[in-house]
Amino acid sequence: MQALTVAGKLDSLAALREYVREATAEAGLEAKPTYHLVLAVDEVATNIITHGYEEADLSGDVIIQARIEETSLTISLEDSGVPFDPRERPDPSNLDDPLETRDIGGLGIYLTLHNVDRFDYVWKDGKNHNIFVMNRPNSA
Amino acid sequence: MSFQAELRTEPNAAVIVLSGELDANAAPEFRNKIETAASQDISKLVLDIKELSYMASAGLRTLVFARQKMGADVEIIVVGAQEAVRETIEMTGFHHSVDMVDDYQG
Repeated sequence: MQALTVAGKLDSLAALREYVREATAEAGLEAKPTYHLVLAVDEVATNIITHGYEEADLSGDVIIQARIEETSLTISLEDSGVPFDPRERPDPSNLDDPLETRDIGGLGIYLTLHNVDRFDYVWKDGKNHNIFVMNRPNSA
Repeated sequence: MSFQAELRTEPNAAVIVLSGELDANAAPEFRNKIETAASQDISKLVLDIKELSYMASAGLRTLVFARQKMGADVEIIVVGAQEAVRETIEMTGFHHSVDMVDDYQG
């Protein structure tokens, strides 16, 4: 699919989710894996925009691109914000603790990494590349 | 579908009806409604999410905010979560801290 470039602002999130839904429709993913992929991309994009751009006083774009292959759908996000590899964030250890006492960091990344078939990250040419892969049905 | 949050007050309870997609961009609006509800004398906060089709972790963080803002005496009831939203709530253990019900009669 043709790439889409959006401003690194929170009000761009809806457009990114819409792009992912178009890609999952084209790739024939069912409702549940679609929801999971949309959530994963949305969470990482939220981190990019919030931590990679806004809190660092930076501005820039987020570029999203879908690639549909015989057995998989790959979504990549590219940004020029602060380098951050989501895989380095440990899972929250307190998921059964009451909300009153919780440190609630890391939930978005937890949902991302547990909801996609594969996740990769590379820092290349001064940019973050977050890569999400879902298996296509009947391709196993 | 864009996000909407509507607050109404019943005797002893505040009801917030959420619809659409709750992402990081929409969460501040939800948070505002919770602050308004918290300023009232209530014993229950009812979150009607039957029409909420999507919730990101920003929504979960707002639930934490609600729990902390309301104080221990106020019961938080989450009504009618769609399957995918329910899964997110359960995956992150939030169902231990709020009551999840299919229906609510005031």
